[in-house]
Amino acid sequence: MAANYWASTQRRYWLFSREKLAEVRERLRDRDKVTHSQFPLPDQRLLNVYFNQQLIKLGKRMSTRQQAIATAQVYLKRFYTKNEIRQTNPYLVLTTAFYLACKMEECPQHIRFVVGEARGLWPEFITPDVAKLGECEFALISEMSSQLIVHHPYRTLSELQPELPLSSDEVALAWSVINDHYLTDLPLLHPPHIIAIMAIIVAVVFKPSHPGGFPGSAQTALAGAMRDGSGMNMLAAALGDNSGAGPPRIHKLVQWLAESEVDIKAVIECTQELLSLYEVWEQYSEKHCKELIGRMVKSKNLDK
Amino acid sequence: MFGKGFPFVNAAGGFYPRDEARRTPGYTTKVRVRDNYHIVGFISSGTYGRVYKAIGKNGKQGEFAIKKFKPDKEGESIQYTGLSQSAIREMSLCTELSHANVVQLEEIILEDKCIFMVFEYTEHDLLQIIHHHTQPQRHAIPAGMVRSILFQLLNGLLYLHTNWVLHRDLKPANILVTSSGAIRIGDLGLARLFYKPLNSLFSGDKVVVTIWYRAPELLLGSRHYTPAVDMWAVGCIFAELLSLRPIFKGEEAKMDSKKTVPFQRNQMMKIVEILGLPRKEHWPGLVSMPEYTQLQSMVLHRQPPHFHRGSNLEGWYQSCLKNGGYSSNSSAGTPGADGFDLLSRMLEYDPTKRITAQEALEHPYFTNGGPISGNCFDGIESKYPHRRVTQDDNDIRTGSLPGTKRSGLPDDSLLRASKRLKE
Repeated sequence: MAANYWASTQRRYWLFSREKLAEVRERLRDRDKVTHSQFPLPDQRLLNVYFNQQLIKLGKRMSTRQQAIATAQVYLKRFYTKNEIRQTNPYLVLTTAFYLACKMEECPQHIRFVVGEARGLWPEFITPDVAKLGECEFALISEMSSQLIVHHPYRTLSELQPELPLSSDEVALAWSVINDHYLTDLPLLHPPHIIAIMAIIVAVVFKPSHPGGFPGSAQTALAGAMRDGSGMNMLAAALGDNSGAGPPRIHKLVQWLAESEVDIKAVIECTQELLSLYEVWEQYSEKHCKELIGRMVKSKNLDK
Repeated sequence: MFGKGFPFVNAAGGFYPRDEARRTPGYTTKVRVRDNYHIVGFISSGTYGRVYKAIGKNGKQGEFAIKKFKPDKEGESIQYTGLSQSAIREMSLCTELSHANVVQLEEIILEDKCIFMVFEYTEHDLLQIIHHHTQPQRHAIPAGMVRSILFQLLNGLLYLHTNWVLHRDLKPANILVTSSGAIRIGDLGLARLFYKPLNSLFSGDKVVVTIWYRAPELLLGSRHYTPAVDMWAVGCIFAELLSLRPIFKGEEAKMDSKKTVPFQRNQMMKIVEILGLPRKEHWPGLVSMPEYTQLQSMVLHRQPPHFHRGSNLEGWYQSCLKNGGYSSNSSAGTPGADGFDLLSRMLEYDPTKRITAQEALEHPYFTNGGPISGNCFDGIESKYPHRRVTQDDNDIRTGSLPGTKRSGLPDDSLLRASKRLKE
């Protein structure tokens, strides 16, 4: 149902097990092995970082909200479980996902304006013809079976804030962690409340030390802290036993977790996924992503 | 006329023979409408496009209503122009919703630059049922039937509201009735999720709900939509089921050339004539309504005696029961005093005091007086005419359909974008 995650199409059709997701992608790859070897692309997460940056650029001059960007990212993920990226023009797909997400998240933008902005950013890859985007919208909606309502962890976060309660710094950091999780497969693997709880735990356990870095992301603030291990050990210890070890703030949170019967194992898995994102992120090069995608689109004439 | 070889309507609303179906490179649908459905005829045209009756084929059983959204601009050749926000809302909400009292979506097909939403077919709707009771002369809808209709309607609405969906366009024509007497809330084209919307619900589209069913807070320019707007509409529908006429039949003031939304003075008058003037002692939020001064000027300029009376809803109700022949010793039965109490709680000026769907379902009107049938035709002798399905191929072929835009409701995405571009 629309506002009830448990009955939603998101839970029924867009929640994968790790194995299932790997299998789906394997099948896409097998369909066109030649193209695959011809056009290598960076790690999926690095591509996601790149796409996210492009979406933010696209939204910059329009009054879009983070939630519309998040929805667009989920649309991209869903679409690319049904379509091999090497058969598409990713710039067109992400512009369309953005256009559609803005309508869904009640901050609609005129199609001409979106196309104009996209052309300003990627003139080589976006034609001035709005019909291209309109057509791609059909493809996107069709591949997603019109299941366009996306449940985000932001809502759980704001619901839990007064209950726990969380300081505004903690909320801000948890919010950035949620922003970051869209760069991983987590939105396809776990329900939004698990992600929100993971984000809260990470925010409470690893206090941000150096803000800044990538806008809206917790990468700079967290990568070091999470990697140095002490925090992770503290987290594992805290989650593993609720005997009362560790700082009282964390102890309280763990107690709350135990009472609310949250799937702790899933939360830990999400934390690890986030940590590994921050590791791989260090290799990110915008230029590299841009070149590989550009070469692929141009030599396959996908922009036509 | 629409025999076996009936070529399916193409995007322009015209025909093309099967073998000449154009396939544009790029997006092609995986399912074609004509593979699954045989079009029987045309049902109606609305603000969005047109509705056709169809029967399933190739293993698909049953009757269907196919709603075809027309493309935004219709000309010589149809282009993709981006889907309207209201189409997107209806598609995404109908895909998620599933309830016995909400119209059931079969599937959505995107084909030839058009959207086809395939719904279960419903034989009747409340507009048609009310109309039937005025022909050839007025005869009231039996009280038990009204009670069943209202209960099912509220049940569907409770489901929508608990899932944070506002319908925003409830009116008799949108309340569908199956041949077995089940009520289905239809046309979610204006429905929206109201859980913490990104923009205030006001900013999207300024005019919502057919004027006769529009809640007073909306008439007074409220920016905060709540489920109470739907409950007001249910109250109006309840009254209309009993009296067979819209209770507040105002004349709509049209939007002027500057596209500013006018104050619906006439509609407000119709409400005041029956309910008396809203008073700030009773409705504290009244004074902060954007159109409060308009309401005051209404009082200053014209002071008919009823303005200073209290509510006359009870008088209206009693004469309505009398005219309809509703009485406790008639075969039709009567909604009685409980019915009046429920109606007055639905037609409550203050939206914060207005009864909710949940409370209404627990009202004595439903809890007293025995079981309520899930078939509103239970025990009813009269047969209702079937939905008219015309086979007027002129209609279907017409490329441009005049008067099918939502009047007074400009496509919100266009409106807002053009506004933003200017900024």
